Amino acid sequence: MNGEGMRVVVVGAGLAGLTAAVDLAAAGAEVTVLEARDRVGGRMHGIPLSRSVVADGGAAYLGVRHTELLTMIGEHGLGLASTAMVGDSTFLVSDRRTTTASRVPPLDVVALGDLFDRLEELVAQVRPDAPWESPRAEYLDQLTAAQWLADEVEHPDARTFFPLFIGEMMAADPAAISVLHMAFYLCSGGGIRYLNAFEGGAQQWRIDGGAHLLCEALADRLGERVRLGHPVSAIDQDADEVVVHCVSSVAGRHSEYRADQVVVAIPPLLAQRIEFRPALPAPRATAATGRGCAVKVHLSYPAPIWREQGLSGWSVSAHGPLLSTVDDSPPDESVGVLTGFVTGAAASVFSALSSDEQRDAALAHAGQLFPQLPPPTQCSVTDWPAEIYSRGCYAALFGPGDWLRLGPTLTEPHGRVHWAGTETSLEFFGLMEGAIRSGQRVATELIHGAELATVSRKVVAQ
Amino acid sequence: MNPDHIVHIFRRVLNTAEVNASSDFFELGGDSLLATRVLSAIARDFGTELMYEDFVDDPSPDGLFAKAAAVVP
Repeated sequence: MNGEGMRVVVVGAGLAGLTAAVDLAAAGAEVTVLEARDRVGGRMHGIPLSRSVVADGGAAYLGVRHTELLTMIGEHGLGLASTAMVGDSTFLVSDRRTTTASRVPPLDVVALGDLFDRLEELVAQVRPDAPWESPRAEYLDQLTAAQWLADEVEHPDARTFFPLFIGEMMAADPAAISVLHMAFYLCSGGGIRYLNAFEGGAQQWRIDGGAHLLCEALADRLGERVRLGHPVSAIDQDADEVVVHCVSSVAGRHSEYRADQVVVAIPPLLAQRIEFRPALPAPRATAATGRGCAVKVHLSYPAPIWREQGLSGWSVSAHGPLLSTVDDSPPDESVGVLTGFVTGAAASVFSALSSDEQRDAALAHAGQLFPQLPPPTQCSVTDWPAEIYSRGCYAALFGPGDWLRLGPTLTEPHGRVHWAGTETSLEFFGLMEGAIRSGQRVATELIHGAELATVSRKVVAQ
Repeated sequence: MNPDHIVHIFRRVLNTAEVNASSDFFELGGDSLLATRVLSAIARDFGTELMYEDFVDDPSPDGLFAKAAAVVP
């Protein structure tokens, strides 16, 4: 193995960084993982709801096409929990509550079908291996998704539905993303139908016990190589080596790590804040790059009582805060868990409230959706845009101009500095699967050189 | 207009050739999102706006053609 004895510092102990670190260590590299937080996992984070139940505060769902993730889950002895739902959907649209057997909201279905047709056309135009080289890329990269809607879609029901859909799929306000990013994201995740579906789609399962368990299992294999509480502030390099500077968040203590190569496996908005000497030739994020706008609200009940009332717990509301809810109760039904998704523009509004106001707003909304339910026994809020060591979730939002500016150099090393993270993966961008593939790609890049990394990525894709 | 036209709509939306006039949309892997695209195509091509309930009632090209034909003036 060419990794033998190579000193590598990995910045970020999320899924991408941990994947890279495990692969590099297996190839004989001397690996150190520097993590800013006092925990591993990044955007995969367990929220304890009771003594035995932990909810996914961040990334949660996966499907059959997430092959690398499924393999890794199996290798670490973790199980899957089905998201299969039984019962009626609940809708709160035009201030009216309705329940139906299907997942179709009480809006004009022909208008929704037209909207999906239009989106499908955009997705079909994207070059998945190089979105910046798609036909009309310059035009689609400048146009926001909100402008596209205003120009191209007339029906009021389609206009009502569009921001809800983009919020749920991408945690984005349509005004903040380019049409190219929207089309790319939907394409990268396996297409509109796959990304949207629970059964047979990207939300078929959760990791039983919480997605964070996977990161903890990877970190266990790395042992003392993982250093928590080490936020990286600067990365210097010269012809001989690279020096990574940390300023400890606790005591303000400065420390340095010397290496042959560095893997930066953090979201683009955070990578952009590191001082690189010499400076980066191309940015990692721009003023147009946004934070994924997702706040997750977990409501706990003594049991999934809505099921007794013939409801699935899945809902869609036209207004915030809880634009969507999902039944994330554990398989043993020891408690009932409804996960509320506050996404897009609603997340910014919600994020600005005090925690008491957030709780009141969430409970009031849950009361409107499910008037037969007692108040939840617990309400916990995970506010990703406010997390200084994530700056958003699900993923960075590429705004107007970003794909043409950032896309071509997403994975291009800067000397001894290499890049990972779900936002560097053109496959399953923004998802756990993308994070793993990026970690594998960067490890291969370091062990075998960049050319082989590209080849092996293509093999994975096939 | 005939059921064959709806067979073609199914083929396009489901991205499969394995459709005949009595095929069940959901058994072929269709879901509610894709069903809305079938309904919008029928509205475009037949000038008839069916409801989602119509679709679920008999989700085959024959069934949808019967529903659409019943509405056409």
